[in-house]
Amino acid sequence: MIILDCEDRFDTWRQQARWLLSHQIDPDQVSWSVAQDADLFASDTHYPEQAGPFQARIPLALLELLQNAGQYCGDQRWSLLYEVLWRVSHGDRTAMLAGDKLGSELHRRLKQVSREAHHLHAFLRFVALPVSEEAEDLAAKAALLEMETLPEYVAWHEPAHDILRSASEHFIGRMGRHRWMIATPKDGVFYDGQQLIHQRECPPAWQALARNADDPHGQLWLTYYSHIFNPARLNPKVMQGHLPTRFWKNLPEGPLIPALISEARTGKQRDGQAKQIGERRGKVIKGNA
Amino acid sequence: MQLIDKLSILADAAKYDASCASSAAPKRSSEGKSGIGSSTGMGICHSYTPDGRCVSLLKILLTNFCLYDCQYCVNRRSSDVPRARFSPEEVVTLTLDFYRRNCVSGLFLSSGIIRSADYTMEQLVRVARLLREEHEFRGYIHLKTIPEADPALIEEAGRYADRLSVNIELPTQAGLQTLAPEKEMGSIRQAMQTIYTGQQTILNEPKAPRFTPAGQSTQMIVGADATDDSTLLHTAESLYGDFRLKRVYYSAFSPIPNSPKSVPLAAPPLLREHRLYQADFLLRGYGYRATELLQGPGDLALDIDPKLAWALEHREVFPLDLNRAEPAMIARIPGIGIRTTKRLIELRRQRRIRYEDLTRLRCVLAKARPFIITSDYHPRQAETSSVALREQLRDRPQPQQMALWA
Repeated sequence: MIILDCEDRFDTWRQQARWLLSHQIDPDQVSWSVAQDADLFASDTHYPEQAGPFQARIPLALLELLQNAGQYCGDQRWSLLYEVLWRVSHGDRTAMLAGDKLGSELHRRLKQVSREAHHLHAFLRFVALPVSEEAEDLAAKAALLEMETLPEYVAWHEPAHDILRSASEHFIGRMGRHRWMIATPKDGVFYDGQQLIHQRECPPAWQALARNADDPHGQLWLTYYSHIFNPARLNPKVMQGHLPTRFWKNLPEGPLIPALISEARTGKQRDGQAKQIGERRGKVIKGNA
Repeated sequence: MQLIDKLSILADAAKYDASCASSAAPKRSSEGKSGIGSSTGMGICHSYTPDGRCVSLLKILLTNFCLYDCQYCVNRRSSDVPRARFSPEEVVTLTLDFYRRNCVSGLFLSSGIIRSADYTMEQLVRVARLLREEHEFRGYIHLKTIPEADPALIEEAGRYADRLSVNIELPTQAGLQTLAPEKEMGSIRQAMQTIYTGQQTILNEPKAPRFTPAGQSTQMIVGADATDDSTLLHTAESLYGDFRLKRVYYSAFSPIPNSPKSVPLAAPPLLREHRLYQADFLLRGYGYRATELLQGPGDLALDIDPKLAWALEHREVFPLDLNRAEPAMIARIPGIGIRTTKRLIELRRQRRIRYEDLTRLRCVLAKARPFIITSDYHPRQAETSSVALREQLRDRPQPQQMALWA
């Protein structure tokens, strides 16, 4: 058994896979694992450092599929990719297709990854940092982040897969020249107005800044959210299908959800109007159009 | 009145419009530019409310003061609701604030009719112009179009907005006369025509300024009057044909406070709305005609979906051999969608399709089984009568909704 550690980097895995393939090493003979586990298994076969004689032909489309599926976090993260690669390079292209047993797992992962990227685009929330400070303070604070400038907007997000680096590019187009930072429990990105900096280990100072940002004007959004909801159409199951509960804790509107549901359920809502609006004085408009 | 109070009133007043899509806009980016906002063509749902609906845009009315007296509308002039009015600048502030927070991908602005149709439309256009020109906003803008407004204003709106919509609300002139006496089918269709003409004018002019690049849409209310599904679907089909509408939305009528006697005070017919969306999807995406789904007057079945209903009425077509059938016919098999159809076609280029493949492709096999043949499968149910099949395949009634409506 060959045990490899690619540090969850696609490029490293790719080099390793290319080497394995050149020596025609069967997927059964190899496993990817993190370094500390690697000691548990001893390799009894030794292969030369140099590439072997087998020259694999790989469709470009496959490389892209593998790269995307490589963002998936879960069991057999890298081994599965090698198995797909092995089969396709030996002439069996069904391994890339969703109708195949292995291909269907590949496509399930691809779907999870793209769904998680979409979750980042959808459910991430930026908070604006206060701006009115002395230049020296700003420089000092930026130094704490090991950056030259401070971000204008910060966000905390907890993705289930390693999508941050590629998926966060979306915000470059969206936020224009603004500077922003996204911290996660694992990695982080900082856009300084010109380039996107990715840290594989999110600096604790970034995390602290993103998690503790004050939001004095947050009430407007919460008001909107409560009032655009139509209690006469209550359907929490559909909601949870689209907005998994794991995201609620980081969404400002998350804490409102249980109360909105139970209020709609208690039977006070016979129509679409929010209770607070019904309690206010109304105004009939006189005259004809 | 405080901004936050206005927001609560004018969001509450806007929730009856079903549309909240931010898709189909052209690619725009603010990378390295002043201003803010992008669109990728894909819509983004930034949140979901507990009614299961997506929040993609800041959906508000500019004002809920209204001169019209549409019976189904919470904002009709005779309705006893709190009223408010935003200034255009306030709408701009809110849009940009929510956009920077990544709470929305743009604005969907509608309004009650104040002073005149032209004046109201001018105000809506002003908001869009401020966003696009003063603030270089490149996010999504959807403007409601006031049908009676000057066509020149509608054209101006189309140059700022990604999408325009004219709500038909009730598909028959008789329905409008009874429930929305100030509205006219003629002017609604005329406004749709103005938008369609605007789109056609720039069709082969790559350098012309964009005009409603995300198309136009409309909404029909379901269950406010006695209009049947057949009328709704045939109307939708003719709107898709006549004006190349991007979407028709169906909005199950939600009871409104101080409801007039002319409209029902019943729970919204959500399942009926769902079936209409399914049927609409078959019109847009699968090449069905409205007459195939509903031949005469009447409603869609509630206990089976419209695709299954069609298949049960056309047993002579089935079972279909997945290894030979035309893609368009495979897509007509209940439980097999367009995506699965494509995957089956890809797969059968490589090898024969087997029954097991369908499980992996996540077909709804319970529905598909009687209608398919694979290299290792022939349905036992091929000889079962449609009546018996329907009994097996229909959705069981949902547990009763809690007795809010008794």
